[in-house]
Amino acid sequence: MRIQHGAALSLLAISALVIAACGGPAAAPSATVSATASATQAASPSAAGVAKATPGQSVKMMLLPKFLGILPFTQANKGATEAEAELKNGTTHAFVGPTADNSVQGQIEFMTNASTQGYKVVMISNNAGDQIAPAAQAAQAAGVKIVAWDSPIPSAKGESLFVAQVDFNETGKVMADMAINLMGAGGGKFAILSASPDAANQNAWIKALNDALKDPKYAKLQLVDTVYGNDQSEKSYTQAQALVAKYPDLKVIMAPTTVGIAAAAKAMQDGKLCDKVKVSGLGLPSEMVSYTLNGCAPQFALWSFVDLGYLTYYASYLLATGAIKGADGEQFEAGRMGTFKITKDPTRSDGLRVLMGPFKLYDKNNVEAEAK
Amino acid sequence: MVRRIRPEQVRELTLLFILVAAVAFFATQIPGYVSGRTFTDISTGLEVIAVVAVGQTLVVLTRNIDLSVGSVVGLVAYFVGTLLANEPGLAPAVPVAIAIALGSALGAINGTIVAYGRVPAVVTTLGTLAIYRVALVELSGAKTVTTDSLPAWLLDLPRSSLVSLGDLDIRSLVVVAVAVVIAFQLLLYYAPYGRRLFAIGSNPDAARVAGLPLQRDVFVAFVLSGALAGLGGFLFLVRFGNITVVAGQGLELQVVAAVVVGGVNIFGGSGSMVGALLGAALINLLQQSLLRWPAANPFVQDAILGLLILLAVASDKVVLERLRTTWVRARRRDDERATASAAKQVTPGA
Repeated sequence: MRIQHGAALSLLAISALVIAACGGPAAAPSATVSATASATQAASPSAAGVAKATPGQSVKMMLLPKFLGILPFTQANKGATEAEAELKNGTTHAFVGPTADNSVQGQIEFMTNASTQGYKVVMISNNAGDQIAPAAQAAQAAGVKIVAWDSPIPSAKGESLFVAQVDFNETGKVMADMAINLMGAGGGKFAILSASPDAANQNAWIKALNDALKDPKYAKLQLVDTVYGNDQSEKSYTQAQALVAKYPDLKVIMAPTTVGIAAAAKAMQDGKLCDKVKVSGLGLPSEMVSYTLNGCAPQFALWSFVDLGYLTYYASYLLATGAIKGADGEQFEAGRMGTFKITKDPTRSDGLRVLMGPFKLYDKNNVEAEAK
Repeated sequence: MVRRIRPEQVRELTLLFILVAAVAFFATQIPGYVSGRTFTDISTGLEVIAVVAVGQTLVVLTRNIDLSVGSVVGLVAYFVGTLLANEPGLAPAVPVAIAIALGSALGAINGTIVAYGRVPAVVTTLGTLAIYRVALVELSGAKTVTTDSLPAWLLDLPRSSLVSLGDLDIRSLVVVAVAVVIAFQLLLYYAPYGRRLFAIGSNPDAARVAGLPLQRDVFVAFVLSGALAGLGGFLFLVRFGNITVVAGQGLELQVVAAVVVGGVNIFGGSGSMVGALLGAALINLLQQSLLRWPAANPFVQDAILGLLILLAVASDKVVLERLRTTWVRARRRDDERATASAAKQVTPGA
């Protein structure tokens, strides 16, 4: 029952260290992925060479998000379930994943066991960087198709295909447009509230925004600061408060992270600041609806995670049933979403990509319907 | 004169001095720092951590530690949030009571294992830290509690103020947190249970020999820590609205840091609730002020906090221990002198 002095001291040292690293174990919420320069979406339904799915085949599939417990991944699963019903797959797919604090090791474990458990496809939102590549390659060698969505395997080793949600250059322009919409033609100061300083997707988006700002039509937008809330509500909330204190004439907080945007909106609401400072960025309608309606976050954007799950399921089913091989230039039809083309991924040195897009903008006119 | 002031009070006064010095320093560095808004931001940032730190203090006083509080806060916040989403008509007292009851139950599990199972508290609560978090993941079924689904009174609660002067608000929830601190400070210093916690932490063997209900008292300390973490979970829900499975992750370390910086001896037996509150206030003040200070880069900020914790422990070990020894000796001398003079006065009459 008593703590030995030595143990207690080392515990303190650890707690000091962890506090120092505070913000480390953050949950990357929504999103991800690598940048893309040239969007090449094949929307042309040229009948020739467009692969179609043959419904009714039985394929055992696994949907593996970064971790369980946050809304974007649940929505992706909803889309996958919808596609599954349309394709009449005899085997219901498994929606499994690690816990947030064990994401990397957990994903590798699921990947390692996939082939022995008889899975034919693993659909993964990769949170393990290239660390997952050996396990994915082994699974591939055992005949499992690996389809990445939301977040790819950087080296593309062990990956059959990546279903990308949006084009990254567009992300920068979308955010700049929203900022100018909120500030009016006069422009003004705004700041970015990001997730963690080393999140590749966040940094790519911030870079895209900076590039977009060079356009003369955004000349009156002044980006004053970029801060990090590590995708924790607590940290994001205090960061948003600090931004307002630091820049008294700040007009917009731009948060390209679902956790950050909701926390910033709450901080402005609790601080009775919504008339002065608007919040925008990438957010989920169901988490943002109250802030959009009360004017704290009048406009924000995101892609549909339901659609992302739906498209990923179609691509995976087609791949596993042999309807497509997973080669550059192939086209396929994905149910209600139309025709897509597989191309080389311009954002990585290797790998194949299917680009979904586009962004969806939300404001008080459509947010309620989407939040359901 | 010196004997009138307990070593703990020296620590509290020092902390108060450091707090004032820090405010004075940042006032010269950050334009517009001394404002009502800064006070409101920093005081509201204390709500959750102060309440949970009170419970932690009770446990640390008995030479134990409760590392599971971060998960308890998250689990309770999620559970109560889901409940309110499904039953928005509940009277406000009901979710608060449920939060405290659920926290107490989780604390009772810790208490049973530590006090009656004689498993070291570090091991036990590290285990339950993980178990409660996994329970949250399972319970949540990958769903988020969203502000949209919560009743209006709960969403308005963080903005309700007791006193409001321009930008300076004394928010109701801050008052609740301070009330909890004061109530437990009184319990600690005037209730027999509070005094026994000091005895148990100072010398468990002597406490046992003296016939104190050691196991029961430690068990109750864990239950109270759980109950306060449960209340903290409710406050967390009110403050952040959106609750995911990572809610409260890492909070236990901030709480332990607040308690230690606040002068509660990590080896048990000394400390106070007011100290823990001051510790939490200092950490929160530094965290938020460094964010506002353009000269500080984010990595330095974290290092400063780490340093502060180590300094607190070191100063406790070196300075306060010496002070305590001197104080005890001085008290003893006084007592002896008093007895002697009393004896002298008695003798002539005899």
